[in-house]
Amino acid sequence: MNRIMKVARMQLINKATFIGIPLMILVSAFLFTMTIWWLVRRSGGEGVLYGGGAQAPMWYFLALGIQALTMTFPFSMAMSISRRTFYLGTLALFSVCALVLSVFYYLMGLVETATGGWGLDGRFFALQWIADNSGFIQIMFYFVLMVLLFMIGFFVATIYMRWRQTGMVVFFTVLGLLVLGIIALFTFTSFWGQFWSWALTWTAGSVTLWGGLVAVLVAAGSYFTLRKATA
Amino acid sequence: MTRSTAIATRELSKTYKDVRALDNVTLDLEPNRIYGLLGRNGAGKTTLMSILTGQNYPDQGTAHIFGRAPFENDLTLSRICFIRESQKYPEDFKVHQAFKAAAMFFENWDEQLALDLVEAFALPAKRRIKKLSRGQLSAVGVIIGMASRAEITFFDEPYLGLDAVARQIFYDRLVEDFAEYPRTIVLSSHLIDEVANLLEHVIVIDKGRIVVDSDAEELRGAAVTVTGDAKKVQEFIGAADVLHRDSLGALASVTIKAKLSGDQREQAKLMGLDLSPVSLQQLVVRSALSTNEGTDKRTEARA
Repeated sequence: MNRIMKVARMQLINKATFIGIPLMILVSAFLFTMTIWWLVRRSGGEGVLYGGGAQAPMWYFLALGIQALTMTFPFSMAMSISRRTFYLGTLALFSVCALVLSVFYYLMGLVETATGGWGLDGRFFALQWIADNSGFIQIMFYFVLMVLLFMIGFFVATIYMRWRQTGMVVFFTVLGLLVLGIIALFTFTSFWGQFWSWALTWTAGSVTLWGGLVAVLVAAGSYFTLRKATA
Repeated sequence: MTRSTAIATRELSKTYKDVRALDNVTLDLEPNRIYGLLGRNGAGKTTLMSILTGQNYPDQGTAHIFGRAPFENDLTLSRICFIRESQKYPEDFKVHQAFKAAAMFFENWDEQLALDLVEAFALPAKRRIKKLSRGQLSAVGVIIGMASRAEITFFDEPYLGLDAVARQIFYDRLVEDFAEYPRTIVLSSHLIDEVANLLEHVIVIDKGRIVVDSDAEELRGAAVTVTGDAKKVQEFIGAADVLHRDSLGALASVTIKAKLSGDQREQAKLMGLDLSPVSLQQLVVRSALSTNEGTDKRTEARA
């Protein structure tokens, strides 16, 4: 247990990676959006303004998942840490970071609503589709999304660490064929209309639930792949 | 202190695609000694150390550290330190941050020793590791290895890129620290003569196989080069195990694996033959080159 905590502390030695950079991305995305909204309002734009910038740090987590592994895993081997301990420590740290950020998103959403969209009637944090839900679902929604992206990055990186280039080629070829196959199937069976009307019925709650399930599967896949990875 | 083995392997084998990196390696290493793991590049040194430290796993056979398999075993791993020659560090780590991490994981970490060594190697502690020169990078690994004071410490080609002064510092400090804090040290190297004096026991690996596993003292007189008239040389060496043969006209220079007695030396002198000692490096090189014959027999020279 103690060593798991130490892995988390090791990942945090460079605080910029897990805390600084995501915050910087979020702040700059927010400021950019604010500036654009202000310009829109000045030139007489009307109606509610939507900004998708809040998702910007989330994409960083995809990269972070890759980085946390490829950069730090070989070093953790040199620190005589087992793969299991490395995995648990890294995931624990990321989960805590993601949870803190999710709560922060939720709180910012409240502030946004209370200030009338930052006085500009803009929606940056409290996108309606999400903000209409309970606080718990909102927080879980952000959390699951962040963890899912992190796990996808982490999983791809474990495949690389274990099977190197061969693993990458096989993985992306299979993935490409799978996506192509689904697109072809939908196209030939004229399923697209049905698919999109089904997609529109998704709620933040159901996305959270299914996303959580996928995240757990990817996490398990990463674990078993990592167990025999080499530095 | 019990005399149980620190490291024990049984018929360890590992194959990468078509390369047999380790081939039936069986070894026993005692605690608190300095071992040399010698061999050419690609002989299997790093693979062996990786398996011993749980960073890799064998296809066949077993490896035990203090009686336990190291793979995924934190308790056993925490007694080992192995910084590989091509060690990777987290992207933005500075030198002192790598030491900070090492201080967390190695219980016997000696911060003062680390600081002393940073100064001795003139290492820029605030610089990013990826900006370091090859020698400085080696110094980071050496410092972690030394300051960790792990019960079993592996040094993987530790001198790469280090200048002569830095290498001497490493050897001196290692011997000094070892005297005060005995532990099992495995020094992997292909620069054999330079480390020869440090070693108590020598293991030579070639094409994944152990070709020499013997006390350094025993090896030091284990071979001799006989030079002189070709016919007389042949007469002197008889059926001894020949490691190497050079000839120039009527002159021959033959290296044989043999310990000569005083009488034999006297005889060589009478026959007008020159005897010269063979360094550990030459012995290893010659042994490696002649492994194809696959012999490990010891034949005494007949005079």
